[in-house]
Amino acid sequence: MTTVYIADTGVFVRCGGPNKDKFQRLRRALRQTGVSLRVPQRVYEELGGDPAADEYPSGNIPYPNGFEEGWIVVADELDYTSPLVSTVMDEARRFIANETDRDEDITEKADTALVGLAAQVLDTGQADHVVLLTTDKPAGRAAETLLPQHGFDDRIEFRYVSVEYLETITADEFR
Amino acid sequence: MAQSPSRSGQPPIQQLQTVADLLETPALARIYAYILRHGPTTVSEIIDELDIPQGTAYDYVQNLETAGLVEKTREQRPYEYDAESIALTLSADGETQTITPALIAAVARREKDEDIDVYIERHGLDGLAVALEYAYEYVDGTVNHRIAARELDLSPLEAEIILQALEPVATEYADAVA
Repeated sequence: MTTVYIADTGVFVRCGGPNKDKFQRLRRALRQTGVSLRVPQRVYEELGGDPAADEYPSGNIPYPNGFEEGWIVVADELDYTSPLVSTVMDEARRFIANETDRDEDITEKADTALVGLAAQVLDTGQADHVVLLTTDKPAGRAAETLLPQHGFDDRIEFRYVSVEYLETITADEFR
Repeated sequence: MAQSPSRSGQPPIQQLQTVADLLETPALARIYAYILRHGPTTVSEIIDELDIPQGTAYDYVQNLETAGLVEKTREQRPYEYDAESIALTLSADGETQTITPALIAAVARREKDEDIDVYIERHGLDGLAVALEYAYEYVDGTVNHRIAARELDLSPLEAEIILQALEPVATEYADAVA
Protein backbone atom coordinates (compact mmCIF):
# COMPACT_ATOMS: atom_id res chain seq x y z
CA MET A 1 0.00 0.00 0.00
CA THR A 2 1.43 3.34 -0.99
CA THR A 3 0.52 6.56 0.70
CA VAL A 4 1.36 9.96 -0.70
CA TYR A 5 1.58 12.92 1.67
CA ILE A 6 0.65 16.32 0.27
CA ALA A 7 1.64 19.36 2.33
CA ASP A 8 0.32 22.91 2.28
CA THR A 9 1.91 26.28 3.06
CA GLY A 10 0.54 26.28 6.61
CA VAL A 11 2.61 23.22 7.55
CA PHE A 12 5.81 25.13 6.90
CA VAL A 13 4.62 28.34 8.53
CA ARG A 14 3.91 26.31 11.67
CA CYS A 15 7.51 25.12 11.52
CA GLY A 16 8.98 28.62 11.21
CA GLY A 17 10.24 31.00 13.81
CA PRO A 18 13.41 31.25 15.83
CA ASN A 19 12.73 27.99 17.62
CA LYS A 20 12.98 25.34 14.94
CA ASP A 21 12.00 22.41 17.17
CA LYS A 22 8.88 21.64 15.18
CA PHE A 23 10.81 21.78 11.92
CA GLN A 24 13.43 19.37 13.27
CA ARG A 25 10.76 17.03 14.58
CA LEU A 26 9.01 16.91 11.23
CA ARG A 27 12.32 16.42 9.45
CA ARG A 28 13.31 13.57 11.74
CA ALA A 29 9.93 11.82 11.37
CA LEU A 30 10.15 12.01 7.58
CA ARG A 31 13.76 10.97 7.29
CA GLN A 32 13.23 7.98 9.57
CA THR A 33 10.51 6.69 7.30
CA GLY A 34 11.98 7.81 4.00
CA VAL A 35 8.76 9.67 3.19
CA SER A 36 8.74 12.89 1.16
CA LEU A 37 6.13 15.57 1.42
CA ARG A 38 4.80 16.64 -1.95
CA VAL A 39 3.94 20.28 -2.36
CA PRO A 40 1.84 21.58 -5.25
CA GLN A 41 3.60 24.14 -7.48
CA ARG A 42 1.25 26.80 -6.08
CA VAL A 43 2.40 26.10 -2.56
CA TYR A 44 6.01 26.27 -3.63
CA GLU A 45 5.30 29.70 -5.13
CA GLU A 46 3.53 30.86 -1.96
CA LEU A 47 6.46 29.86 0.24
CA GLY A 48 9.01 31.83 -1.71
CA GLY A 49 6.86 34.55 -3.15
CA ASP A 50 6.98 37.34 -0.57
CA PRO A 51 10.23 38.99 0.52
CA ALA A 52 8.22 41.08 3.04
CA ALA A 53 7.41 37.88 4.92
CA ASP A 54 11.08 37.62 5.91
CA GLU A 55 10.40 40.27 8.54
CA TYR A 56 8.32 37.73 10.45
CA PRO A 57 10.00 35.07 12.58
CA SER A 58 7.51 32.54 11.18
CA GLY A 59 8.30 33.71 7.65
CA ASN A 60 11.84 32.56 8.16
CA ILE A 61 11.29 28.93 7.23
CA PRO A 62 14.24 26.68 6.45
CA TYR A 63 12.19 24.73 3.89
CA PRO A 64 14.94 24.85 1.22
CA ASN A 65 16.87 22.38 3.41
CA GLY A 66 13.97 19.99 3.00
CA PHE A 67 14.31 20.16 -0.79
CA GLU A 68 18.06 19.65 -0.62
CA GLU A 69 17.65 16.66 1.67
CA GLY A 70 14.85 15.27 -0.43
CA TRP A 71 12.07 15.10 2.16
CA ILE A 72 10.13 17.87 0.44
CA VAL A 73 9.53 17.59 -3.29
CA VAL A 74 7.57 19.73 -5.70
CA ALA A 75 4.72 17.69 -7.15
CA ASP A 76 4.10 17.18 -10.87
CA GLU A 77 2.21 19.92 -12.65
CA LEU A 78 -1.52 19.46 -12.49
CA ASP A 79 -2.88 17.88 -15.63
CA TYR A 80 -5.91 20.01 -16.41
CA THR A 81 -6.65 17.87 -19.48
CA SER A 82 -7.52 15.01 -17.15
CA PRO A 83 -11.32 15.00 -16.89
CA LEU A 84 -11.15 13.85 -13.28
CA VAL A 85 -8.68 16.53 -12.18
CA SER A 86 -10.58 19.35 -13.84
CA THR A 87 -13.97 18.10 -12.61
CA VAL A 88 -12.76 17.71 -9.04
CA MET A 89 -11.15 21.15 -9.09
CA ASP A 90 -14.36 22.75 -10.36
CA GLU A 91 -16.33 20.99 -7.67
CA ALA A 92 -13.77 22.00 -5.04
CA ARG A 93 -14.09 25.58 -6.13
CA ARG A 94 -17.86 25.51 -5.61
CA PHE A 95 -17.43 23.61 -2.34
CA ILE A 96 -14.93 26.13 -0.95
CA ALA A 97 -17.05 29.10 -2.06
CA ASN A 98 -19.98 27.52 -0.27
CA GLU A 99 -18.03 26.70 2.92
CA THR A 100 -16.62 30.21 3.10
CA ASP A 101 -19.83 31.89 2.05
CA ARG A 102 -17.99 33.67 -0.76
CA ASP A 103 -18.73 34.23 -4.38
CA GLU A 104 -17.18 31.54 -6.58
CA ASP A 105 -15.16 34.24 -8.35
CA ILE A 106 -13.09 34.87 -5.23
CA THR A 107 -11.67 31.36 -5.27
CA GLU A 108 -8.70 30.67 -7.50
CA LYS A 109 -6.74 27.71 -8.80
CA ALA A 110 -4.35 27.87 -5.85
CA ASP A 111 -7.28 27.18 -3.53
CA THR A 112 -8.13 23.94 -5.26
CA ALA A 113 -4.61 22.80 -6.16
CA LEU A 114 -4.36 20.55 -3.10
CA VAL A 115 -7.59 18.78 -3.94
CA GLY A 116 -6.63 18.57 -7.63
CA LEU A 117 -3.27 17.06 -6.80
CA ALA A 118 -4.86 14.50 -4.48
CA ALA A 119 -7.23 13.49 -7.30
CA GLN A 120 -4.38 13.25 -9.79
CA VAL A 121 -2.19 11.11 -7.52
CA LEU A 122 -5.05 8.66 -6.91
CA ASP A 123 -6.28 8.66 -10.50
CA THR A 124 -2.86 7.94 -12.00
CA GLY A 125 -2.30 5.09 -9.56
CA GLN A 126 0.70 6.74 -7.88
CA ALA A 127 -0.85 5.98 -4.52
CA ASP A 128 -3.61 3.99 -2.88
CA HIS A 129 -3.99 6.60 -0.20
CA VAL A 130 -3.45 10.32 0.07
CA VAL A 131 -2.94 12.23 3.29
CA LEU A 132 -3.47 15.96 3.05
CA LEU A 133 -1.50 17.96 5.63
CA THR A 134 -2.93 21.46 5.73
CA THR A 135 -4.33 24.30 7.80
CA ASP A 136 -6.80 25.06 5.02
CA LYS A 137 -9.95 23.58 6.53
CA PRO A 138 -12.25 24.40 3.58
CA ALA A 139 -9.86 22.64 1.17
CA GLY A 140 -9.39 19.71 3.55
CA ARG A 141 -13.13 19.23 3.85
CA ALA A 142 -13.54 19.58 0.09
CA ALA A 143 -11.06 16.74 -0.48
CA GLU A 144 -12.69 14.50 2.12
CA THR A 145 -16.16 15.15 0.73
CA LEU A 146 -15.53 15.15 -3.02
CA LEU A 147 -12.99 12.41 -3.68
CA PRO A 148 -15.17 9.62 -2.23
CA GLN A 149 -17.85 10.72 -4.72
CA HIS A 150 -15.43 9.77 -7.51
CA GLY A 151 -14.79 6.27 -6.28
CA PHE A 152 -11.98 7.03 -3.83
CA ASP A 153 -13.74 5.89 -0.68
CA ASP A 154 -11.49 5.70 2.38
CA ARG A 155 -8.49 6.74 0.33
CA ILE A 156 -8.16 10.38 1.34
CA GLU A 157 -7.46 11.75 4.78
CA PHE A 158 -7.31 15.38 5.85
CA ARG A 159 -5.07 16.11 8.84
CA TYR A 160 -5.32 19.57 10.32
CA VAL A 161 -1.79 20.68 11.15
CA SER A 162 -2.13 22.32 14.55
CA VAL A 163 0.71 23.38 16.82
CA GLU A 164 0.09 20.27 18.95
CA TYR A 165 0.19 18.04 15.89
CA LEU A 166 3.68 19.20 14.97
CA GLU A 167 4.90 19.28 18.57
CA THR A 168 4.12 15.60 18.98
CA ILE A 169 4.77 14.30 15.47
CA THR A 170 6.80 11.12 15.17
CA ALA A 171 7.70 8.65 12.42
CA ASP A 172 4.51 6.73 13.29
CA GLU A 173 2.56 9.47 11.59
CA PHE A 174 4.11 8.41 8.25
CA ARG A 175 3.92 4.62 8.55
CA MET B 1 -17.32 59.24 17.54
CA ALA B 2 -17.05 56.74 20.33
CA GLN B 3 -19.86 54.63 21.70
CA SER B 4 -19.61 52.24 24.50
CA PRO B 5 -22.09 49.89 26.09
CA SER B 6 -19.60 49.76 28.92
CA ARG B 7 -20.40 48.39 32.31
CA SER B 8 -17.36 50.08 33.77
CA GLY B 9 -19.37 53.09 34.80
CA GLN B 10 -16.98 55.32 32.89
CA PRO B 11 -18.18 57.73 30.23
CA PRO B 12 -16.91 56.91 26.73
CA ILE B 13 -14.20 59.52 26.25
CA GLN B 14 -12.67 58.85 29.63
CA GLN B 15 -12.72 55.16 28.83
CA LEU B 16 -11.01 55.88 25.52
CA GLN B 17 -7.98 57.12 27.45
CA THR B 18 -7.71 53.88 29.39
CA VAL B 19 -8.21 51.77 26.30
CA ALA B 20 -5.46 53.74 24.55
CA ASP B 21 -3.15 52.88 27.45
CA LEU B 22 -4.09 49.20 27.12
CA LEU B 23 -3.27 49.20 23.43
CA GLU B 24 0.06 50.92 23.97
CA THR B 25 1.23 48.91 26.96
CA PRO B 26 1.36 45.17 26.28
CA ALA B 27 2.03 44.28 29.94
CA LEU B 28 -1.04 46.25 31.04
CA ALA B 29 -3.06 44.54 28.32
CA ARG B 30 -1.83 41.12 29.44
CA ILE B 31 -2.92 41.79 33.00
CA TYR B 32 -6.34 43.00 31.90
CA ALA B 33 -6.81 40.04 29.55
CA TYR B 34 -5.73 37.65 32.29
CA ILE B 35 -8.14 39.03 34.90
CA LEU B 36 -10.94 38.99 32.37
CA ARG B 37 -10.39 35.30 31.56
CA HIS B 38 -9.42 34.02 34.99
CA GLY B 39 -10.87 36.45 37.49
CA PRO B 40 -11.55 36.82 40.33
CA THR B 41 -7.84 36.63 40.91
CA THR B 42 -5.14 38.03 43.17
CA VAL B 43 -2.12 40.09 42.19
CA SER B 44 0.25 37.37 43.35
CA GLU B 45 -1.44 34.91 41.00
CA ILE B 46 -0.95 37.41 38.16
CA ILE B 47 2.72 37.80 39.05
CA ASP B 48 3.19 34.01 39.00
CA GLU B 49 1.21 33.34 35.85
CA LEU B 50 2.38 36.24 33.70
CA ASP B 51 5.92 36.60 34.93
CA ILE B 52 5.54 40.34 35.43
CA PRO B 53 7.63 42.16 38.09
CA GLN B 54 5.79 42.61 41.37
CA GLY B 55 5.94 46.41 41.46
CA THR B 56 4.67 46.68 37.89
CA ALA B 57 1.83 44.25 38.56
CA TYR B 58 0.58 46.17 41.62
CA ASP B 59 0.83 49.50 39.80
CA TYR B 60 -0.97 48.22 36.73
CA VAL B 61 -3.78 46.56 38.66
CA GLN B 62 -4.21 49.83 40.53
CA ASN B 63 -4.37 51.72 37.22
CA LEU B 64 -6.99 49.34 35.89
CA GLU B 65 -9.02 49.69 39.09
CA THR B 66 -8.86 53.49 38.97
CA ALA B 67 -9.99 53.35 35.36
CA GLY B 68 -12.92 51.18 36.36
CA LEU B 69 -11.88 48.26 34.16
CA VAL B 70 -11.28 45.97 37.11
CA GLU B 71 -12.85 45.97 40.54
CA LYS B 72 -12.09 44.47 43.90
CA THR B 73 -14.34 41.53 44.59
CA ARG B 74 -12.75 40.71 47.96
CA GLU B 75 -12.13 43.58 50.30
CA GLN B 76 -9.76 41.80 52.69
CA ARG B 77 -6.20 40.78 51.94
CA PRO B 78 -5.36 39.14 49.70
CA TYR B 79 -7.56 41.34 47.54
CA GLU B 80 -9.23 39.71 44.59
CA TYR B 81 -10.01 41.46 41.34
CA ASP B 82 -12.41 40.84 38.51
CA ALA B 83 -12.59 42.63 35.18
CA GLU B 84 -15.33 44.33 33.23
CA SER B 85 -15.64 43.47 29.56
CA ILE B 86 -15.24 46.41 27.21
CA ALA B 87 -16.47 47.12 23.73
CA LEU B 88 -15.52 50.52 22.43
CA THR B 89 -16.70 51.28 18.92
CA LEU B 90 -14.86 53.99 17.04
CA SER B 91 -15.78 55.55 13.73
CA ALA B 92 -13.58 57.75 11.61
CA ASP B 93 -13.80 58.60 7.93
CA GLY B 94 -16.59 56.12 7.41
CA GLU B 95 -14.65 53.22 8.90
CA THR B 96 -15.78 51.59 12.09
CA GLN B 97 -13.74 49.44 14.40
CA THR B 98 -14.63 47.91 17.74
CA ILE B 99 -12.02 47.47 20.43
CA THR B 100 -12.89 44.23 22.16
CA PRO B 101 -11.25 42.19 24.92
CA ALA B 102 -10.02 39.81 22.19
CA LEU B 103 -8.24 42.64 20.40
CA ILE B 104 -6.62 43.70 23.65
CA ALA B 105 -5.57 40.08 24.24
CA ALA B 106 -4.09 40.00 20.73
CA VAL B 107 -2.13 43.19 21.37
CA ALA B 108 -0.99 41.76 24.70
CA ARG B 109 0.65 38.89 22.83
CA ARG B 110 2.93 41.14 20.81
CA GLU B 111 5.53 41.03 23.59
CA LYS B 112 5.79 37.25 23.33
CA ASP B 113 4.88 36.71 19.69
CA GLU B 114 7.03 38.66 17.31
CA ASP B 115 4.81 37.75 14.34
CA ILE B 116 2.02 39.83 15.89
CA ASP B 117 4.47 42.62 16.67
CA VAL B 118 5.71 42.76 13.06
CA TYR B 119 2.13 42.68 11.77
CA ILE B 120 1.18 45.68 13.94
CA GLU B 121 4.30 47.53 12.75
CA ARG B 122 3.30 46.89 9.15
CA HIS B 123 -0.47 47.23 9.27
CA GLY B 124 -1.31 49.10 12.48
CA LEU B 125 -3.82 48.21 15.15
CA ASP B 126 -6.68 48.68 12.69
CA GLY B 127 -5.05 46.09 10.46
CA LEU B 128 -4.73 43.76 13.42
CA ALA B 129 -8.40 44.22 14.32
CA VAL B 130 -9.42 43.23 10.78
CA ALA B 131 -7.03 40.25 10.76
CA LEU B 132 -8.58 39.10 14.05
CA GLU B 133 -12.00 38.98 12.38
CA TYR B 134 -10.51 36.68 9.77
CA ALA B 135 -8.86 34.59 12.47
CA TYR B 136 -12.31 33.72 13.87
CA GLU B 137 -13.34 32.52 10.44
CA TYR B 138 -10.07 30.64 10.02
CA VAL B 139 -10.68 28.77 13.27
CA ASP B 140 -14.25 28.08 12.17
CA GLY B 141 -13.07 26.79 8.82
CA THR B 142 -15.02 29.41 6.92
CA VAL B 143 -11.97 31.07 5.39
CA ASN B 144 -8.46 30.00 4.40
CA HIS B 145 -5.25 32.01 4.14
CA ARG B 146 -5.61 32.32 0.36
CA ILE B 147 -9.00 33.99 0.41
CA ALA B 148 -7.96 36.12 3.40
CA ALA B 149 -4.85 37.21 1.47
CA ARG B 150 -6.89 38.43 -1.49
CA GLU B 151 -9.43 40.22 0.66
CA LEU B 152 -6.80 41.83 2.90
CA ASP B 153 -4.37 42.52 0.07
CA LEU B 154 -1.56 40.49 1.63
CA SER B 155 0.58 37.71 0.23
CA PRO B 156 -0.77 34.23 1.05
CA LEU B 157 2.33 33.64 3.18
CA GLU B 158 1.84 36.78 5.28
CA ALA B 159 -1.87 35.96 5.67
CA GLU B 160 -1.07 32.46 6.91
CA ILE B 161 1.52 33.83 9.36
CA ILE B 162 -0.86 36.28 11.01
CA LEU B 163 -3.82 33.87 11.00
CA GLN B 164 -1.72 31.23 12.77
CA ALA B 165 -0.43 33.84 15.22
CA LEU B 166 -3.99 34.96 16.07
CA GLU B 167 -5.44 31.45 16.14
CA PRO B 168 -5.01 31.02 19.93
CA VAL B 169 -6.77 34.34 20.63
CA ALA B 170 -9.59 33.57 18.19
CA THR B 171 -10.01 30.13 19.73
CA GLU B 172 -10.03 31.48 23.27
CA TYR B 173 -12.48 34.29 22.55
CA ALA B 174 -14.70 32.49 20.02
CA ASP B 175 -17.43 32.02 22.64
CA ALA B 176 -17.39 35.73 23.42
CA VAL B 177 -18.20 36.54 19.79
CA ALA B 178 -20.80 33.88 19.12
